[in-house]
Amino acid sequence: MVLRGGEAWRLRHCAKCGPREDRIAKDAREHLEAFLAPGREPSPDGAATKPFKRTTAACPTCLSLVDADVVIREGRVYFSKRCAACGPSEALVSEDARYYVEAYTYARAGSDPHRVDAKVAAGCPEDCGLCPDHEQHTCIPIFEVTDHCDLACPTCLVDNRSAHHLAPETFARMVDELIAREGQVEALAISGGEPTCHPRLLELVELASRPEIGRVMVLTNGLRIAKDRAFAEQLKAKGAYVSLQLDGFTPDVHRKLRGRDLTAEKEAALATLEELEIPTQLIFVAARGVNEDQIGKVVELFLSKDHFISLNFQPLAFTGRGGGTFPVDPMDRLTLTGVLAAVERQTGGALRANDFAPLPCPSPHCVALLYLLRMNDGGWVPFPRFADLRRHGGLLRNSAALPALPEIEQALQDVVYSLFARQDEVPGGRLILAALRRAIGAMFPSRPLPFQQAVRQGERQAKSIFVHHFMDPYDFDLERLRKCCNHYPQPDGRLMPACGFNLFHRGAAKGAETPRARFGVAPWNGEA
Amino acid sequence: MGNLEGRVALVTGGSRGLGRAICRALAREGAKVAFNYSSGEEDAQGTLAELREAGAQAWAFRTSVLDKAGLWEMVARLEREAGVVDILVNNAGLSQVVPLALMEEEDWDRVMDVNVKGAFLATQAVLRGMIRLERGRILNIGSLAGTKMLPAPVHYSASKAALQGFTQALAKEIGRYRITVNCLAPGVLDDGVSHNIPPHRLEEYLHHCALGRPGTVDEVAKLAAFLVSDGNSYMNGATVVVDGAV
Repeated sequence: MVLRGGEAWRLRHCAKCGPREDRIAKDAREHLEAFLAPGREPSPDGAATKPFKRTTAACPTCLSLVDADVVIREGRVYFSKRCAACGPSEALVSEDARYYVEAYTYARAGSDPHRVDAKVAAGCPEDCGLCPDHEQHTCIPIFEVTDHCDLACPTCLVDNRSAHHLAPETFARMVDELIAREGQVEALAISGGEPTCHPRLLELVELASRPEIGRVMVLTNGLRIAKDRAFAEQLKAKGAYVSLQLDGFTPDVHRKLRGRDLTAEKEAALATLEELEIPTQLIFVAARGVNEDQIGKVVELFLSKDHFISLNFQPLAFTGRGGGTFPVDPMDRLTLTGVLAAVERQTGGALRANDFAPLPCPSPHCVALLYLLRMNDGGWVPFPRFADLRRHGGLLRNSAALPALPEIEQALQDVVYSLFARQDEVPGGRLILAALRRAIGAMFPSRPLPFQQAVRQGERQAKSIFVHHFMDPYDFDLERLRKCCNHYPQPDGRLMPACGFNLFHRGAAKGAETPRARFGVAPWNGEA
Repeated sequence: MGNLEGRVALVTGGSRGLGRAICRALAREGAKVAFNYSSGEEDAQGTLAELREAGAQAWAFRTSVLDKAGLWEMVARLEREAGVVDILVNNAGLSQVVPLALMEEEDWDRVMDVNVKGAFLATQAVLRGMIRLERGRILNIGSLAGTKMLPAPVHYSASKAALQGFTQALAKEIGRYRITVNCLAPGVLDDGVSHNIPPHRLEEYLHHCALGRPGTVDEVAKLAAFLVSDGNSYMNGATVVVDGAV
């Protein structure tokens, strides 16, 4: 069943008779309400459970792939799984059934990678690396350049062994391969471990700074930036962006999520980044009962400084050396929609949950995002306040900012005309038009901009807030994995979709001693 | 029932000459017709009376195509009283016989302003409604002098050539809202700005015209009425020359 053009349709395909489409409701919204209603009733005994669909999930005990019913109960979405070996289990996957169901209306077909190396044999996720069945190319390549780290986070989702630093020569080859596959990428993430522990990190940044790559982002806990001013200055000089892990503002939060009080170090890192005006993305890992009450405060900080280009909330994924053993109640955990609700509540409605839209290019359940337009007085207005993102879907991209690319120019022009036609109905319509005029003028001057400059111009006109829910053994959904666009390039040439790699290949999905799946290939394989 | 039944049309400079003929033709096809004029109260009232006598709903607004606020006010009133404007004919224009050597800067500005900027301002005023409707027809009245090398005033020819560029770029820009933009470029007519043509020039022109006569404003107006109708559904960004083959 699909919602299309305001109507609900059932699409069928018969092997004998071919495809057939039947309209089942003239009003998609009414149909959706009627569909959701039974699953909205209070149901302490689970009686009012509404089946939604089926998918392939993972058994949280043995990590085998299992069938799961996706069910709606009391307005929430759960996976109800059956594992032949371990028995049944349930897990919460979304705190808002309406968002979960409607998200499908945003989904769009993926773009094939320019090249795939693996063959289809046993199926997903066994053939990974990528195989021709994978439905999305690489938007964000995440290079793990080291497995050394200067923290031991109780929530760490990788498996640091303090054994490897990626050699610059290997890194250069991997970047070459990425460019051969993708042509150009808007952002390349240098991660770890803690990448600032890599003794030759600045060389890596330099190697990645190529015309085909819009921005090079160093994903860091910020400890080195806090104490090593010269290092931060070199990052700035090399044009690197920083993705700073910032999960909160109080010692207890840092202790619970990162193992020790980092308050002073985070403050120092923030001060240096601001002083040097290093373009920064904030990454806030959010966990139920730990730091969800500080979501509003990080939004406030993010909107207050010009050098913050993006804020990325990540509901805690319970996987990896630390996260795999972190206490979790799979039936009451923070999910993507829980973060959206907290944003609305804690900003007093300045930002609303429905300002966010599912990112359409991966599975629409992976990422919710919001772009904010810079107004001429320095304030920020969420795009959905003046643009219908279902109509202007070109503006929903897996990008920290809106790059000055031709497709964005077209999408912005569409937005201008829509707003122009109803400017008196939109609060501040004229001021928003004035801001769009400024933004378009800056992003699309009469002479075309080189790719990197095009990316940078966009950052000055709009900010983004993402909520990215990585998967773990409880909420793993094969359907999502197949459309993943966050990939870990490997020294052996494979490109590994992030959550599949974390669950099946690292051998740490349930803590450091988790047996690796029989098809899993360890990280650092093929390291030169 | 005419081709334009239920449509709301605005013709700039509609009180006399070709503009008046276009108003008549649109009304004949069933459109509600409004026009603006900047001077010539008597002509305007005559046109208005003629349209109403023919049974059309009609409005006349005294405002210049260079008065942005006046145009927006006119369109707002029209939307309240008649509905959203879904046909715009940018007809208002002027000419002046003067060789470049004697042309004052003010001459140049006046012709460019009325003929080009006027079309821009009037289009902007009606465009909001057309986008909301996702339907519209915009017809710019150009001239043969904007498409061919003719002994016509330089500023006039330049302004009409500019309207062609305006037509093409705008057609590309707003086609996705199902609004078409075309340009109608008449040759010499028996009324309107062609009045100013010196007799020897007119004679030379007719010598080169296959039909051997000037066109009439009614002939051009009929074509205009077709060009803004639903029947003309796929032409966009085009300039249609109607000159008897010069």
